Amino acid sequence: MNNRAATIGGYVAGFALLFLIWHFASQFLVRSVLFPSPFPVFERAVVLIEDGLLQEAVLASMRRILQGFLLGSALGIPIGLALGSFRPVRLLLEPWTEFFRFIPAVAMITVAVIWFGIGEESKIFLIAYTTVFVVIIATAAGVGAVGKDKIRAAQCLGANRFQLFALVALPATVPYILTGMRLAMANAFVTIVAAELVASNDGLGKMLWDARLFMQVEDIFVALISLGLLGFATDRTFRLLIRAFAGRFNPTM
Amino acid sequence: MALVALEGVGKTFRGRTGAWEAVRDFSLELAEGEFFCLLGTSGCGKTTVLNMLAGFEAPTTGRILLDGKPVRGPGADRGVVFQGHDSLYDWLTALDNIAFGLRLRGMAKAERRAVAQRFLTMVGLTGQGAKHPSELSGGMKQRIQIARALANDPRILLMDEPFGALDAMTRAVLQNELSRIWAETRKTVLFITHDIEEAVALSTRVGVMKRGPGGTLKAVVPVDLPFPRERTSDGFMQTFRQVHALIHEEIHPHE
Ligand SMILES: Nc1ncnc2c1ncn2[C@@H]1O[C@H](COP(=O)(O)OP(=O)(O)OP(=O)(O)O)[C@@H](O)[C@H]1O
Ligand SMILES: [Mg+2]
Repeated sequence: MNNRAATIGGYVAGFALLFLIWHFASQFLVRSVLFPSPFPVFERAVVLIEDGLLQEAVLASMRRILQGFLLGSALGIPIGLALGSFRPVRLLLEPWTEFFRFIPAVAMITVAVIWFGIGEESKIFLIAYTTVFVVIIATAAGVGAVGKDKIRAAQCLGANRFQLFALVALPATVPYILTGMRLAMANAFVTIVAAELVASNDGLGKMLWDARLFMQVEDIFVALISLGLLGFATDRTFRLLIRAFAGRFNPTM
Repeated sequence: MALVALEGVGKTFRGRTGAWEAVRDFSLELAEGEFFCLLGTSGCGKTTVLNMLAGFEAPTTGRILLDGKPVRGPGADRGVVFQGHDSLYDWLTALDNIAFGLRLRGMAKAERRAVAQRFLTMVGLTGQGAKHPSELSGGMKQRIQIARALANDPRILLMDEPFGALDAMTRAVLQNELSRIWAETRKTVLFITHDIEEAVALSTRVGVMKRGPGGTLKAVVPVDLPFPRERTSDGFMQTFRQVHALIHEEIHPHE
């Protein structure tokens, strides 16, 4: 409990320091209308929240992230497991993963818009795209990293092939899967903004884009801070989940 | 009929660096209920012999019989205790690790936990069943491995330097525990070590291996001493010296 208080205290102090430096930088170093101090930004944030605009943007972006992320993970985990478990599947699919993971989701935006329009589908496609390869690679690596003795021990306790997979390989791979998903979540944040910048009617990316058009510097900062906080909160939640469900698997996480 | 028979078993590894004959013409019969220690210098092929008997690797020549039937791949009739503790399942409690083999057989949860509890007590870890492997010391993990193998009731227990990574004091404690457990269960054991004292303290027979390449069984020394073994007794010292002389020739072949 004490430890937890220290952690939270550290976060609060860390963020406070960040805002303090920002304030001083805007007052004494840069001194430009293009670089507002935190206070007008907070005021603007309050207004946006009162009007319900910020919540709307956050919800729109988060919904897309979650949908695409879950879709990408749901595809990536079984593919990764198959890839790690069966040599023919690996030989067949590895060139794909090695090829597509170098084509960033941002580069796929144009294709996504042509295929799916500027509605929800294109964003969900892009998030799923950016998620799926990271999850596949992490999952396959996890399967490959299952200790030889763990497999052998199960074999001489009488495990058949299905039991080896379900009771040894799969649970041993869970920490790798979760770590892959965590990395993918960070990618999803990058991708959603890019996708919404280019083509969208709502979301934080759209908010950034509009603010740029109308030179509303405070709005830009509100959107940026929202992104940072959302990403931070999501990642923390993920870490807590990893601890709760998989703390046993990897005590160092 | 012997429980286990290795008949002219050989193993040659082929790899990038060419062929390496690790084991050559290895023959041995193990009777039901004996505790056989396989002793030899590092790299003489002890693990290779055990791996073939466990079914992890196929012999290149000769054959291995268990109850008169040739060994093909690993099976529940041969329990293995590994040298490291990577073989334990981190995501299961100590108790569920012990019960793992019973679970594979489809035994009901309550029943297999009751059995596992008995073996947890046998290895001296009563009350520690809820801990996970990451919360156990090295010695405790080896106890769990032994309990896990025994709970599955194999025909023979294969142990590859199970105490090799432990400090001298823990090792001595575990040796005594294993001796007691063996006296209770009379399970047939093949035990690999390169510690002469350990071999003489535990076994009914000690087999000394010749150095590789082509490691093979050089001599078998029966240990006819009563249990529990008194390590400072004359009989113990005498057997120790006998085995030591055999090993010494392998370490210093040109003296
Ligand atoms: N998979 C393998 N491929 C090639 N050579 C191998 C392989 N496994 C073992 N060897 C070789 O076979 C010989 C015997 O190895 P083994 O592991 O059986 O020795 P050991 O008696 O168990 O030694 P230690 O006491 O150090 O564990 C060694 O020379 C080793 O290099
Ligand atoms: Mg060895």
